[in-house]
Amino acid sequence: MHPVVRWFHQLGSPPYFERFAARWAPIAYIAGLLVMAYGLYGALFVVPADYQQGDSFRILYIHVPSAWMSMAAFALMALYAAIALIWRIKLCEILAMACAPVGAAFTLITLATGSIWGKPMWGTWWDWDPRLTTELILLFLYLGVIGLYNAIDDRRNASRAAGLLAIVGVALLPVIHYSVTWWNSLHQGQTISLFGASHMDPSMLPPLWAMVIGTHLWFVGSLLARARADNLRRESGKDWVARLAEPRA
Amino acid sequence: MIWSAAKALMIRDLRLLWRRRGDALQPALFALLVVVLFALALGGEARELAKVAAAVLWLAVLLAGLLALDTLFRGDADDGSLEQWLLAPVPLSWLVLVRTFMHWATTALPLLVATPFLAELLHLPHEQLPVLLASLALGTPLLSLLGAVVAALTVGMRRSGILIALLALPLYVPILVFGAGSVAAAGQGLDPVGALLLLGAGLVLALVLAPLAAAAAIRIALD
Amino acid sequence: MSYQNYVIAAYCVFAVVMLWDFIAPRLQVRQQLRAARLRATRAGRNTTNEFPLSRE
Repeated sequence: MHPVVRWFHQLGSPPYFERFAARWAPIAYIAGLLVMAYGLYGALFVVPADYQQGDSFRILYIHVPSAWMSMAAFALMALYAAIALIWRIKLCEILAMACAPVGAAFTLITLATGSIWGKPMWGTWWDWDPRLTTELILLFLYLGVIGLYNAIDDRRNASRAAGLLAIVGVALLPVIHYSVTWWNSLHQGQTISLFGASHMDPSMLPPLWAMVIGTHLWFVGSLLARARADNLRRESGKDWVARLAEPRA
Repeated sequence: MIWSAAKALMIRDLRLLWRRRGDALQPALFALLVVVLFALALGGEARELAKVAAAVLWLAVLLAGLLALDTLFRGDADDGSLEQWLLAPVPLSWLVLVRTFMHWATTALPLLVATPFLAELLHLPHEQLPVLLASLALGTPLLSLLGAVVAALTVGMRRSGILIALLALPLYVPILVFGAGSVAAAGQGLDPVGALLLLGAGLVLALVLAPLAAAAAIRIALD
Repeated sequence: MSYQNYVIAAYCVFAVVMLWDFIAPRLQVRQQLRAARLRATRAGRNTTNEFPLSRE
């Protein structure tokens, strides 16, 4: 059997996944942290202040990667859920459900940093424009998946139901975004765009890419850590878990 | 005896809540969703929203509390604890009062805390916020107490969701009128104290009478 | 206008949420392992059972 294919099959075995995740989660976390540290340093100290927006522009370096991460995590969650539902792969159920809290966290960061950025920029903490409104609805979708997963006792049925919700959500998300954009076009005077008139000078880009890569790496670490916890919970009656948990002799 | 019974019931309710602590956020999330829906339906423009913000917030809190009403007695009715209440050596109305207080503290209090944040979403004029919070602080316990009577009346029934709403909402009308009205009066420069005092008087009356009515209703429902 | 406070606030939000994101799964794993340990001792087996089908 081709080694990569074999590795995929091995990952499906809970004890093997436990060892894999326990080893790689810290590595992903540390890698993410290092790359983000570089990005944050660049964002705070190296990049010059924007001539229009001043220092508040630096918030972009957290806001934009978080926004991208919030949407990427949702798409990934739906993909894992689809694989889990079609091929009934337990690991994909676990990974799908592990995406939800991380994605929700990034959505929360996006909304909060966007609000904090908006206050000095446009004088208001909140505006009902399409992007912000869609991001808020995205948060509700995440919380719905998490809530549904926690509400059902049987873990497999719970992940199937919540996974279906994620798939429905990902299908409806473009519709929601389009509808809010259309609604927005009916009500004049709402032409606030996230970047306004300024565009990114090339010298401002490296920290942004660093933050994007850093958050992705962090996401992988968090995904593996949460998947590990869920895996242990599902396998809690088994011998290998008891063996793992026993105090070192 | 009375106080130890109250303490025991409160600790039990808190422990049960802690085990399902995710659920405690649900009324606040529902209120937030109601705010979102109103904002979208009204067009999202700050000036328009500011005019109706207080009313929308009152409705969001009221509706969220209404949905949470079902959980007031359902858990205990399902596992038989309610019948133990009937046999307890302390008055049934006292247990009802303690339970209603805990329910208010765990469902309405988070809503009160969330209100300034929700108010910001609807661009509520800042000077209306204190009156709004005062009216909610007086109004939500009243809503809980009246709601307890309705919940007690329907405790035995299956699928009583809409029925609870149909029974409770007419009773809620005066509270909504004085509550949202006090903020509207303040917005127009009139004195809101009169409406707030009426709410306060209603609250005092309800504290005494509502538990008695709810206790009688539970006895009827469980016989 | 001093933007500094806003920038600090935004970066603090980021740091706090990421910290929670790091701590929460660690607590969960620790909780699961602890529960497994308690389960094992409760069942009277402190060590692994090398011969699960034996009659001991």
